[in-house]
Amino acid sequence: MVGFAVEGALVVFLLATLVFFALRVLPGDPAALVLGDQASEAERAALNAKLHLNEPMGMQYARFVGGLLTLDLGDSIRRPGVPAVARVFGALGPTAALAAVAVVIGAGLGVSAGVLGAGPWLGSRRSWVDRFATAIAATPLLAFGPVATYGLAARIRVVPLPGDPDAGAMGLIFASSLLALPLAAHIARVSRAALDDLGRAQFLIVARAKGASHARVWWLHAVPAAIGPIVTVLGTQLGALLGGAVVLERLFERRGLGTLILEAYISRDLPVLEAAVVVSGALFIFAQQTASALHAALDPRVGGEGT
Amino acid sequence: MRTLAERLPLVARVAPLAVLLVGSAAVVVGERSPTHLAPELSWAPPSTPWPLGCGEAGVDLLALVAHATQRGVVMAAAVSLVGFAVGCPFGAFAGLARGRVERAASRACDLVQAFPSFLLALVVLSAVARPTRTHLAAVFLLTAWAPFARLSLAQTRVLRDAAFVEAVRALGGGRARIVARHLLPNLLGVVAVQLGSTAAAIVVSEAALAFVGFGTRDGVSLGAVMDQGVSSMLRAPHVLFVGAASVAAASFSLMTAGRAFDPSFARQRLRH
Repeated sequence: MVGFAVEGALVVFLLATLVFFALRVLPGDPAALVLGDQASEAERAALNAKLHLNEPMGMQYARFVGGLLTLDLGDSIRRPGVPAVARVFGALGPTAALAAVAVVIGAGLGVSAGVLGAGPWLGSRRSWVDRFATAIAATPLLAFGPVATYGLAARIRVVPLPGDPDAGAMGLIFASSLLALPLAAHIARVSRAALDDLGRAQFLIVARAKGASHARVWWLHAVPAAIGPIVTVLGTQLGALLGGAVVLERLFERRGLGTLILEAYISRDLPVLEAAVVVSGALFIFAQQTASALHAALDPRVGGEGT
Repeated sequence: MRTLAERLPLVARVAPLAVLLVGSAAVVVGERSPTHLAPELSWAPPSTPWPLGCGEAGVDLLALVAHATQRGVVMAAAVSLVGFAVGCPFGAFAGLARGRVERAASRACDLVQAFPSFLLALVVLSAVARPTRTHLAAVFLLTAWAPFARLSLAQTRVLRDAAFVEAVRALGGGRARIVARHLLPNLLGVVAVQLGSTAAAIVVSEAALAFVGFGTRDGVSLGAVMDQGVSSMLRAPHVLFVGAASVAAASFSLMTAGRAFDPSFARQRLRH
């Protein structure tokens, strides 16, 4: 468990260092990026002093690392007086809600589809589940998200537009469902394969022989034994989920981490940009390491010398 | 001699990409411009002179989509080929080294592959004043090698104890020789299967970046079409459909073309 934490901290530190040097070493004067080409020398010098860009690189880096440890990466340039980290944490809530609901819906839908595809209910038509999942997994969210929104929210109006302040829970569920579909398709394929591998395992036959229904056998006995790969694929899909969340926030003009990052990018608010990338990277690593640790904890066959 | 029917699966897998590329190339070499604006034609629905209709400020959607598809697909193919060329030897060397190096490489692949490429893209793109297609390609290359390295590592684990590798080692062959002459030729086929899905993912990512506002300044991207489509959803839904269909078509065709490297396919060819 300690190993996971140390590795996670190391990756976050590397990411933060990459952010730091990308914004300073790559060609282009950050102060000119922030103020535009029209700014005077004095204005640029003032901003450079404010962002400590006039100090030697080693000094700046030490200040940045110190800021990382104390969660103080300076004030937002566009909103003076507001710490960059505070703006990021403020925007985190809506995105976290979107992603969390999407994980719940995606895992539920995906595992159900996997059980349906591996169990006996569909007979020879069970391969349809796999084909359907493959088709969904291959369709980019960028293509079907806006079209589904047009059809369901703009034309038929069965769901509210999630960007609408009055949309409430239904809006969140609709947006999360869009985000959850590709995730569900991946989970369906992996869980179907994992359940098929269990196939005719002895403990399933025993459970069946003791009179358990098919549903009981698959849900209570087979799914827990196949949970490892499912948790792993969930972990590997989190990155795609975050990317999808940014696209959906842009689509629905919903407030969140994605819109904050875009806003900071367009207005070149460097402290906010740094904080946003570091915080979301840290969160992502945390979620991923949790998935790995969870996998190790749930499945005694994994762990230690896992390759 | 193989009959046409036997060749058909291979042809069928590459055909969508070929049709897409030839079709868009035909438009690109023609007189249609993706940046010519004709405000009087704003949001005009499809008609004979403008088969896909017009978008914002009367831009010709057919020209825009064709140019964007060409550039997107070419960049995605180039990036995934470079990732392939970097990832294969990396995975093979890590697999041969075994032990700690192998574990570290494997973990690095996992992390890079699962890491939100969006965040990495943001870091790099926010440091440049005007993102160009080269910047985008560099960003995608940061993560594109990982799936290839991972597959190559897995395949090396299978091959490294094979008798022919043992034989080279006994004859005094070094690690570089084993990788270059004996491992790589044996694992290229397996790893190449990944080319299609990596390229498809890059095409979609490029469009997604352009959609949220991180595209190139010329605005020639499938994401820009989607952006126009979303903002004019109620006025001119055809823009949205054209954008969505072309993103899906580019992604599907790259994915199916990649399946031409499928090992089951190679076996089928060997039999004949």
